[in-house]
Amino acid sequence: MAPVIEMRGIQKHFGAVHALRDVNFTLGPGEILGLVGDNSAGKSTLMKVMTGAYARDGGDVLVDGAPTQFRSPQESRDRGIEMIYQDFALCGNMDVGQNIFLGRWPRRFGLFVDRPRMYAEANAVLKRLKVDVNSVFQKVESLSGGRQQSVAIARAISFNPRVVIFDEPTANLSVMATERLLETMAELKRQGVAQVIISHRLTDIFEVGDRVMVLKRGENVGDRYVKHTTEREVLELIVSGAPETALTADEALAKAA
Amino acid sequence: MTSVASATPAAGRPASLPLQLAGGWEVGILVFMAALYGVGVFINPGFFGSTDAISSVLRDTARYGVMAVGMTFVIVNKELDLSVGSILGLVATVFSILYAPSHLDLGAGWATFGAVLTGLTIGLINGVLVTRLKVPAFIATLTMLFIGRGFVLGLTGGKTVAYERKAAADGWFFGWGETNAFGFNSQILIFAVVALLGALALAKTRMGFETYAVGDNEQAASYAGIPTRWVRMRAYLLSALGATLAGLMIVAQDKGITSQYGGGAELVVIAAVIVGGASIAGGRGRVVGACLGAALVVLIDKVLREGIPITREIDVGGIKMEVQAYAQLPPGAVPAFLGLILLGAVLIEPWAIKGGGAARVWALLRRRAAPPAADRGEAAIVGAQTRGAGSDARGVGATGLRAFLARRDAAAILLTVGLWLVGLWLRPDFWGSLDNSFNLLLAFTEIALVSVGLTFVLANADVDLSVGSVLALSGAIAAFLMKELGADPAVAVLCALAGGTLCGVVNGLLTVRFGLPAFVATLGTFYIARGLGAWLVAGRQLSGFSESFNLMGRNLFEVLAWAGAAPSSGLMLAVAKAVSVQTIFLGVVALVAGVVLARTVWGQMIYAVGGNERAARYAGIDTRAVRFWSLVFSALCASAAGVIYVAYYRSFNPSAGQLRELDGIAAVIIGGGSIFGGFGSVLGSLAGAAAITLIRSLLSLQLILADGSSFVMPQHWMNVFIGLVLIGAVVGDIWIRQENILARLVRRRSGVS
Repeated sequence: MAPVIEMRGIQKHFGAVHALRDVNFTLGPGEILGLVGDNSAGKSTLMKVMTGAYARDGGDVLVDGAPTQFRSPQESRDRGIEMIYQDFALCGNMDVGQNIFLGRWPRRFGLFVDRPRMYAEANAVLKRLKVDVNSVFQKVESLSGGRQQSVAIARAISFNPRVVIFDEPTANLSVMATERLLETMAELKRQGVAQVIISHRLTDIFEVGDRVMVLKRGENVGDRYVKHTTEREVLELIVSGAPETALTADEALAKAA
Repeated sequence: MTSVASATPAAGRPASLPLQLAGGWEVGILVFMAALYGVGVFINPGFFGSTDAISSVLRDTARYGVMAVGMTFVIVNKELDLSVGSILGLVATVFSILYAPSHLDLGAGWATFGAVLTGLTIGLINGVLVTRLKVPAFIATLTMLFIGRGFVLGLTGGKTVAYERKAAADGWFFGWGETNAFGFNSQILIFAVVALLGALALAKTRMGFETYAVGDNEQAASYAGIPTRWVRMRAYLLSALGATLAGLMIVAQDKGITSQYGGGAELVVIAAVIVGGASIAGGRGRVVGACLGAALVVLIDKVLREGIPITREIDVGGIKMEVQAYAQLPPGAVPAFLGLILLGAVLIEPWAIKGGGAARVWALLRRRAAPPAADRGEAAIVGAQTRGAGSDARGVGATGLRAFLARRDAAAILLTVGLWLVGLWLRPDFWGSLDNSFNLLLAFTEIALVSVGLTFVLANADVDLSVGSVLALSGAIAAFLMKELGADPAVAVLCALAGGTLCGVVNGLLTVRFGLPAFVATLGTFYIARGLGAWLVAGRQLSGFSESFNLMGRNLFEVLAWAGAAPSSGLMLAVAKAVSVQTIFLGVVALVAGVVLARTVWGQMIYAVGGNERAARYAGIDTRAVRFWSLVFSALCASAAGVIYVAYYRSFNPSAGQLRELDGIAAVIIGGGSIFGGFGSVLGSLAGAAAITLIRSLLSLQLILADGSSFVMPQHWMNVFIGLVLIGAVVGDIWIRQENILARLVRRRSGVS
């Protein structure tokens, strides 16, 4: 299947630091990809290059095979790429409906906010996501962390994205909330949304992920299909992988066979 | 990073250590000071050429320098103490009241004791408000500034207190204000000792290191086991101590006081510390720099205040005569320049150093490729948390009274009704009368207009401290144009609105373009606008404008009468007499603003920016535009209030709009706004403004006592009450609405028992 997103030979410098070195990345439609690696491996940087939050110094980003030059996350959003930030980036003083439509509240007469439509659509999005947020009129600051994340996801979903990037989604969640989140991810996958999970917790990735990609000091050190690998093997890649011996998931599969 | 790593890295090459140790920044100040003194000598050789000038500059520097030493600790802590001028004034006042034969006539020792106690108490209150009650430093200390001023006026009754004869007997105290045996003023000696102790404490002791750590990263400092709250509290105490010392120095020198002592001193002191290399963003600054900064700012102040000798030719009965005269800035204009210096100094750090502005200019000069602008971290993944802690969950599902109490503007509505009833209870004969009601409505207009503008700014999590000054500037422009230039009223009104709005544009640019905190930017305009206004009218009161202009401050009856269409009787007459032009204007502005804020996309954007600016930015909202236009709108409202002020009073007084920023901020917060942004509604702010109006009018109500005598609270005490109301509103908002701490305490109590 043709990948939704492909990145080739990405280079990124921060002053003297070479943050990304010739990194390749692919994401298939409906695929859940775990992006793992140590701190400062370049996971977040790679995703920010993808969404246009950072300008790359070299390489190509292709969406549906066509090269792109995103200059801001808004531009990548227009092409169906959504990112859910670790702290959810919501306005606590506003209610759930207002947050789901943050910055693009439906208009009436070009100037006013169409409240009935906003809340009706917000309800519809929450239903589609199958999350339990009591009321679209509730202020976000009165919700628990897990529920706030649900709102953030609902917001992302309401754009009808093809790709959703989760930045450390389980870092601040309770066990229960994590379970719910993983269910939500599986639901999104059923709806054909490709997902990238940046995470330290391999357990979560092994539960819902299809493939796991390992970065180390800004370089590819290989990726594997979750079905055909073990947490142990991925940990070894994280700790002692090297770009010279990197295998793609398909190569690793062929080698094992 | 304790030293002033400023000048050299800005030029784009690595700083060499020896130059840094020598203090490149401090050397720069010294060079600049020498040049400035040269200018002073050039324009006014009569004054600056003499040795008296040097010793007078040094003597004044001594007092400001002592305050700057304390202030350095506060600013390095990433905070601000606006109350130092007030503390100086109050300390001097308390000393004088205790000491003066005309008042309590105590000994100098007791007077000193009382004065020190006063100063430290204010420092303690500042510290408690900021560190314990979590009130933002600028709002806490600004309120203390006005409360302190109120006390000074209340205690002295606005009069001068002098005790020269008695002072002659207490040489051990008053000698410190005199020239000593070595031929220089002893205050300079005090300054030198304080500066040395302060410099050692900040640069060489644990206490100083703790201060730098807290200023740079309070969380890290607290994880490292530093008692951060005590460190911040200590800074406020030191700052108050410096101001106390300065207050004692000034009474020792002058052996008397006026109620004006210490006015605007906070501006000089803060400017001094920042010119001296400290950063408003905390973690940077040195005592030596602050002292040199104090000398520089005092010198600038002197150069500005001393006139330029000019020769004017006048014609007396056909005979030309040459007259020696002084071209001087009118009183009140100097703060305009000091405000400019403050803003300039504050901009050095974020623009020239961190933003790489100086490096870019330098590269341009050498015709090299400019280094890229610093990454602003537009979409950094880590960042602010979604704010708030469950304050509004209470309202969900509640009905009746509970639902009402959960409304954020409930306090304002209850307060308005309650205060009005109190007025009725105190003066049943007068309070309910039409006369009084109309007067209330008129007083309400000014506060309400300012509050409507401030609602937008506060909802954005910014603040506009300049509204009162902008009101004065706009009024001054209108009065000046009509009186001095004979301009048409329409032109005058347009120019006044434009001038006031320009202040908002400056506020907006400084805030969103240069990234200054809004309270710093608007604090600058607070002084600049009032100074410019005073300059325009030369500090005088102007009156006698054309009646067509004054109609803007009249009721409909007078307008219709002027147009020759006065209703003669019946309901129309009553309505026309009751409704004034300004009330209608306010109604229109409030209606439009209320609809925009509550119902339009723009209003939603304002709340989003105030709730979580970063989230709003990710959502594609142009947060800079939103904040910019809110500040402009606030200035526009204030300038409209200024025009109405002139029309209503038929005259302009340079003190117009004083304290309006406090009234406005208090009104918005009582009405449901939050000093941290994201909340507030126009309706709530109007209710809040009504509450403030009622408080003001109750305080000036003439009470008829049981024995038939009447009592009016002296006007001088008004500031104190308004300040207390503001602090009460802010603390109440933080502790009840935002954190719901009271409810939590109650719950914990009942949970334990």
